[in-house]
Amino acid sequence: MASVTFKNVWKYYGKTPAVKDLNIECPDGSFVSILGPSGCGKSSTMRMLAGLEHISAGDILFDGERINDLPPKDRDVAMVFENYALYPHKTVLENIANPLRLRSVDDDMIKARVDAAAKLLEIDHLLDRRPHELSGGQKQRVAIGRAIVREPRLFLFDEPIAHLDAKLRAHMRGEIKHLQRTLGTTMIYVTHDQLEALSMADYIAVMHDGELQQWGTPSEIFNKPVNAWVAGFVGEPAMNFVTCDLVGHNQEVFLRHENFEIPLLPDQVGKLNGAASAGTARMGVRPDALEISLTKPHQPSITGEVFVNELLGGDMLVEVLLDGSRIRVKTVPEFDGQPGDRCHITVNREKWHIFDAMDGHAYF
Amino acid sequence: MASLDVVHYDSPRMRILRFGAGIFLVLYLLWTLVPFFVMFVSSFKDLLAAFNLPEVGDWSGITLFFDFTPTFKHYVSLFVDNNFSTYIANSLMAAGGSAVISVIFGSLAAYSLSRVEFAGKADLFFWIISTRMAPVVAVMVPLYSIFRALDLVGTLPGLILAYTTFNLPFAIWILKGFFDNVPYAIEEAQMVDGSTRIQAFVSILPLVAPGIGAFVVLCILFAWNDFLFAAIIGSGGAKTLPVATRELVQPQNIQWGAIMAAGVVTTMPMILLGLVIRKYLVTGLTMGAVKE
Ligand SMILES: Nc1ncnc2c1ncn2[C@@H]1O[C@H](COP(=O)(O)OP(=O)(O)OP(=O)(O)O)[C@@H](O)[C@H]1O
Ligand SMILES: [Mg+2]
Repeated sequence: MASVTFKNVWKYYGKTPAVKDLNIECPDGSFVSILGPSGCGKSSTMRMLAGLEHISAGDILFDGERINDLPPKDRDVAMVFENYALYPHKTVLENIANPLRLRSVDDDMIKARVDAAAKLLEIDHLLDRRPHELSGGQKQRVAIGRAIVREPRLFLFDEPIAHLDAKLRAHMRGEIKHLQRTLGTTMIYVTHDQLEALSMADYIAVMHDGELQQWGTPSEIFNKPVNAWVAGFVGEPAMNFVTCDLVGHNQEVFLRHENFEIPLLPDQVGKLNGAASAGTARMGVRPDALEISLTKPHQPSITGEVFVNELLGGDMLVEVLLDGSRIRVKTVPEFDGQPGDRCHITVNREKWHIFDAMDGHAYF
Repeated sequence: MASLDVVHYDSPRMRILRFGAGIFLVLYLLWTLVPFFVMFVSSFKDLLAAFNLPEVGDWSGITLFFDFTPTFKHYVSLFVDNNFSTYIANSLMAAGGSAVISVIFGSLAAYSLSRVEFAGKADLFFWIISTRMAPVVAVMVPLYSIFRALDLVGTLPGLILAYTTFNLPFAIWILKGFFDNVPYAIEEAQMVDGSTRIQAFVSILPLVAPGIGAFVVLCILFAWNDFLFAAIIGSGGAKTLPVATRELVQPQNIQWGAIMAAGVVTTMPMILLGLVIRKYLVTGLTMGAVKE
């Protein structure tokens, strides 16, 4: 068990930076997820933690102790590699047993540990096979087995369940989370799947283009995104963005667009800090903070035209055409607007966000 | 993972092709095996019996060829009158020694060239290969004078060194290809699992075993069959089988029987080695280790 601290960490490959000035503090025993799109530097961060990649600048600390210069074997971390990295000439059993063999654990202990791990991962019938006789998902589970068979200071999981089918993935999410809770070992879990991050992690580090965008609990990331990029990346279906004008009028500030004019709540006006009180801004709102109806409601609403309906099991997603943009609204399957119908959308103003039109940072 | 089973599609054309291929193979086997067979049989024949051959075209006289009483006298003369046991030992030491030295240094060098980035790597690698580009004869004279200055001419270490200078670049070249095929991720996983860099290197050796096996065979074959180095650098103190056999050809007296027996003694070990090492040469162990 260990706390992990990144202090101004940079990673350069030649002249291109892959990780830029990363500062993170992962508390001891926490489940931290690094979330970001492909190529944002997640694996590079992991590999620096494991000691496989030189740290170009800055320090990484385990329990306050600088580990930059420790070779991998002395860092006592267990890693699940993005590309499995199994030993092709060894059986599944020996693959999983390998970290224990290297620590000269005795045979009975090894057998017990490997059996327990294999059972948990449902690969106990595969122990005699070699990696080339396994499917992608089975290999991935062997790689997880090799990591959880011992009790390291730190788990590093690099997209460990990306290749499993949806059902097994849901199952493994639960298992990994449970395992981490039971062992209490600090876990750093890389994923590009925001659902995985939101559902499993205690803290999420959202990265984009090598830069940390936001650090926070899943609910902070989801409900209080610090910029438009995070807001757009997290959440499914994705947040709607509409570029509007901010217009001040008698103490009140309105969001104005060809299709609507809606006032901000009084405390939200304060958060604008006067900065954007006149000018354009981007309004962001999630599809489930909107309500759609075919009749015009009393409160201020957005008027548009139904573009298409998608039935998603228990919900219906309606795409509405505005002047120059589209927004998606989550509603009940009974909604009977047809493409082309005029419709009205009301906004739960507690849950909308205003982002700066230029740099995208959130006012609230 | 796709299986590698061959799918057969039978058609008249395929059947004719297969038949033609069969005939070709039979002829080819005769062409390659008959000389060995003649050598083997003649080594057990008295000199008179060996030259007791039917007329050309007289196929019924072929039984004449098998009509002899086997004798071991040629083998006896090799090992008693000549020092063939010493020459076998010399051949083994020279071939084995240079193979072992080349494989040790070769795999270390190939591993570094495959895994570590450093300035001038491509040039260094090319330079290593380029030492094999000149024909052996071209370097023979300078090599001889260097070896003589170092008092290495006519000694086994000298011969081993000479073979190693030629086998090592070859080893580096072959083995680098094999190391390149082993994903680095496997060693990374080893190191995270708790091994040192050296242990990680050792742990992937089984994956390059086919390469090492193939190389050892080629290296031993080169040294074992070599005549030029053995005649010039090894002459005198480190006489090997090919040189010793050559000496059985004397101006007044070509000892055919002994030459045939020496031929058998020289080829047998290599044939046996080939059979033993065959399974090593099967590659493909790295398949499926890493996500493609
Ligand atoms: N060995 C390397 N040499 C040069 N550039 C590299 C190297 N490894 C990664 N990069 C670059 O660094 C950036 C970050 O790569 P990284 O592998 O960390 O991304 P990632 O977030 O793990 O992506 P993914 O989700 O696709 O695995 C990418 O732009 C990539 O092209
Ligand atoms: Mg990655």
